[in-house]
Amino acid sequence: MTGKTWALVCAGALVAGLAGCSSSGGGDSDGKVTLTYAYWDEKNQGAAMKKIIEEFTRTHPSIEVKLQFTPNKEYWTKLQTAAAGGSAPDVFWMNGPRIGLYASQGALMPISDQIAQDKVDMGKFPKSLVDLYTIDGKQYGIPKDFDTIGLWYNKALFDAAKVAYPDASWTWDDVRAAAKKLTDPGKGVYGIGAMAWPQEVYYNTIFQAGGYVVSDDKKKSGYDDPATIEGLKFWKEFLDQKLSPSIQQMTDNDPIEMFKSGKLAMWYDGSYDAPQYAKTEGLAADVAPLPAGPKGKATVIHGLANVVYAKTKHPKEAWEFLKFLGSEQANKIQAESGAVIPAYEGLQETWVKSMPNVHLQAFIDQLPDAKPYPVSKNTAGWSAAETDAITKAFSDGQDVETVAKQFAATMNAALSQEK
Amino acid sequence: MSTVERAAPARAAAHPATRRRLRDREWVWGYAMIAPLVLGLGVFYLWPVVQSVYYSFTEWTLFGDSSWVGLSNYEKLFTDAAYGKALRNTFLYGGLSLLGIPISIAVAALLNTKGLKLVSFYRTLYFLPVVTMPTAVAMIWTWLYNGDYGLINYALSLVGIEGTSWIANPSTALYALVLVGVWTQIGYNAVIFMAGLQSIPSHLYEAASIDGAGRVRQFFKVTLPLLSPSVFFVSVLSVINGLQMFDLVYLMFRKGNPAREDTQTVVSLFFSRAFEEGAKGYAAAMAVVLMLITLLLTVVQFRMQKRWVHYA
Amino acid sequence: MRSGRLWPVHLLLAVGAAAMVMPFFWQVLTSLKTFTEATRTPPVWIPSFEWSNFAKVLAEGPFLQQFGNTVVMTVGRTLAQLLFCSLAAYAFARLRFPGRNVIFIALLSVLMVPGQLFLIPQYQIVQGLGWLNTLPGLIAPGMFSAFGTFMMRQFFMTLPAEVEEAARLDGANPLRIFWSVMLPLARPGLLALGVLTVLWSWNDLMWPLIVNTDPEQMPLSAGLSALQGEHMTEYPVLMAGSLMASAPIIVVFIVMQKQLIQGIAFTGSK
Repeated sequence: MTGKTWALVCAGALVAGLAGCSSSGGGDSDGKVTLTYAYWDEKNQGAAMKKIIEEFTRTHPSIEVKLQFTPNKEYWTKLQTAAAGGSAPDVFWMNGPRIGLYASQGALMPISDQIAQDKVDMGKFPKSLVDLYTIDGKQYGIPKDFDTIGLWYNKALFDAAKVAYPDASWTWDDVRAAAKKLTDPGKGVYGIGAMAWPQEVYYNTIFQAGGYVVSDDKKKSGYDDPATIEGLKFWKEFLDQKLSPSIQQMTDNDPIEMFKSGKLAMWYDGSYDAPQYAKTEGLAADVAPLPAGPKGKATVIHGLANVVYAKTKHPKEAWEFLKFLGSEQANKIQAESGAVIPAYEGLQETWVKSMPNVHLQAFIDQLPDAKPYPVSKNTAGWSAAETDAITKAFSDGQDVETVAKQFAATMNAALSQEK
Repeated sequence: MSTVERAAPARAAAHPATRRRLRDREWVWGYAMIAPLVLGLGVFYLWPVVQSVYYSFTEWTLFGDSSWVGLSNYEKLFTDAAYGKALRNTFLYGGLSLLGIPISIAVAALLNTKGLKLVSFYRTLYFLPVVTMPTAVAMIWTWLYNGDYGLINYALSLVGIEGTSWIANPSTALYALVLVGVWTQIGYNAVIFMAGLQSIPSHLYEAASIDGAGRVRQFFKVTLPLLSPSVFFVSVLSVINGLQMFDLVYLMFRKGNPAREDTQTVVSLFFSRAFEEGAKGYAAAMAVVLMLITLLLTVVQFRMQKRWVHYA
Repeated sequence: MRSGRLWPVHLLLAVGAAAMVMPFFWQVLTSLKTFTEATRTPPVWIPSFEWSNFAKVLAEGPFLQQFGNTVVMTVGRTLAQLLFCSLAAYAFARLRFPGRNVIFIALLSVLMVPGQLFLIPQYQIVQGLGWLNTLPGLIAPGMFSAFGTFMMRQFFMTLPAEVEEAARLDGANPLRIFWSVMLPLARPGLLALGVLTVLWSWNDLMWPLIVNTDPEQMPLSAGLSALQGEHMTEYPVLMAGSLMASAPIIVVFIVMQKQLIQGIAFTGSK
């Protein structure tokens, strides 16, 4: 803190209409540097993050790392306003939909030079993830983890309805048949949850039907493509036949909670929610690979990366910390916590073993069929409208095809504004 | 919140200027004593208005650079479907929240009954929603409105009515919101009406009752006309508050709620444009337009008051 | 009228009061249930007293820290408003200086402007000062109030001039007269403004959402909103959190009811 005097000078300057006051904080007098590290998942990953920092500060006693947790819903708002004000955290979590924007707006520090200098082996990470965080030939992040989607199911409900557990051979038809048998209106049990969530739910079936969300050249929306619409209709059928709770019901009651409390027999969800399901008392859940659609198997793969803020006051220390976050040691801590699948090669096994009561291997087995999470340069320019549109499409009395085609026009307009 | 009316200082009578000796240094003391407030209000309120108006002619990148774009933000307002919807929702909300006024008058009239005991006990209960944190209010009602496990639907089921997911259903969501808004306002408005009722001289009632007017007639012939200044004040306040609706909308209709676009108000849209999407210039234009609408409505209300408000 | 004939009035008021209080009753009841109990139909009327819901709120977020932040924010804003507003209000009511009325009306014009018009520049000021995610940033704009100044000025004008005349003849300066003569007399007005400010400040949501996104620096209102973001529809936990966050202000209200009602009645009178 630079004190009250400075504040008064600033206030005075503002009265006079002058802008451009910024406090010049920085290193402490004893030479110890404090870095801030921002993340958004406390429930599943908070413990691992703390442990990683503990390890890091043991080997780097001159650097202190302060964890800054922000719930997912507020994370990007906060980061954006902080970045605009030149006060973002030094190191923070980044995801696929945002990387294009943050990198192109100069909010992130390119790390290609440092990688070359310190000989960091990027070959240890899945190529699709390394590519995701490479913008215009420059590397901006080191992959932190990855996730795929699986078919979670409630074993007790399957047993009660005498339905065989899902396995790798399942197709859409098996899901349809099982959902019918598992739905029990009297008990308030639904076969499946057809929530309007992109990554966990409808992106997967869009790919399984042979559709796409954004064209490869990032210029065209896939929502007017018949295959894409088929992927959406798969879910709409469950809603229409009341084999899934309505979108309204799942707004009132989070489908994750519904699955945990035995109201949903089947539920598509990511590997990142595995700890919740494996540890809920009284819930006998397991997971299988996603069933194949008309055009075969597919699952969305996405992964986070750690990135450095372009205007960090301690670029050297931030890079040291980033390097550590990308090290085998840090990835191992993540793996053991079971929270996420670590991005570092060879550590997936550790993660799979972290929750022996569920077949986490299903998430790893799907890697050959995985499709990258669809992004464009400014994904945020259309993703909110996408959620609104598909939520509407899935609501009672709406026609999926009409709504999807309407949205395709909106999305095309947004894509055309990207440079 | 205040009204224009109060801005005109009626100080001639109260000011004891007559016998006071004018001191040379009185003005120094005066300036010194208002200085902290003037500085604070100037920096945090008055100058920001000027800045906001300026910003409404600029465009901001996501990370804070801005450039002059003339009227284009205002042009965009006319074509932005979300803004049109938000305007409609806001006016509908503001208008419907006036429905709480008759309820508040009834509560105030009942509480004002001569010889009634337990008045302050009742008043406390009616006032509880006013003091409760809006965040808590939103959570409580979200739960009451729950389609599957909500208390409201359970109560309805007892009389054979099947409820809905009140705040996730686009056709009921706004009305559900209005009900919560009214619920939080009744106690506040009732207090203002009670003060208004107590200022009505009792001899007017005596005169009316000598003329043979019953209690109901008295209410309409004496009470309501004399209460009209309070009714006016409360309705101006309700409309202004309605235009400002934010907390409950933000908290009860989060992203992914199918009724979101049917409940977004101008202020909640302003909030997401300015602080979630970083479009500060565009948001500033929204705020400027909202100010113009507020001023216009207030002027209209003041014009119309001549027709129905009786100042005793 | 004899009170024996008042039972219909009591009946009507009691029915209305029940409707007003029912949501709170349901909040308390749910906060003591397990999730399974909360989602049972017909509803469970006798909960299993699941105190762990409260423990969960305390354990998962920095609830106590946020409680402290709320107290500091509320006290800071209230004391500052009482001081700055009454100081200026006295000058506006009793002292003569050039431009007095023009300045007063200029300040009052703030009341006519919707709050959104201040927000973006206020945010920038706080950001410029490096006060984002700090308590000073949370408190600063709320320290000044045009409404409070207007209210206190009206109050000072109702006080008789004679009391200060004596002090004036003794040669006391205006600040002294304000501090030792007028302020004690203005106690009822100060209390009313104080309670109104406490209430507004404790419940304020939008400003904290904008400037303090770090949970450690949030007040309860924003913290509770974040809790909802995390726990979505885990209603017993949410009810426990909302109960704990709003209870203190309800207690303040019950204790200070008279002042609050007076303050509100004042705003409604001309």
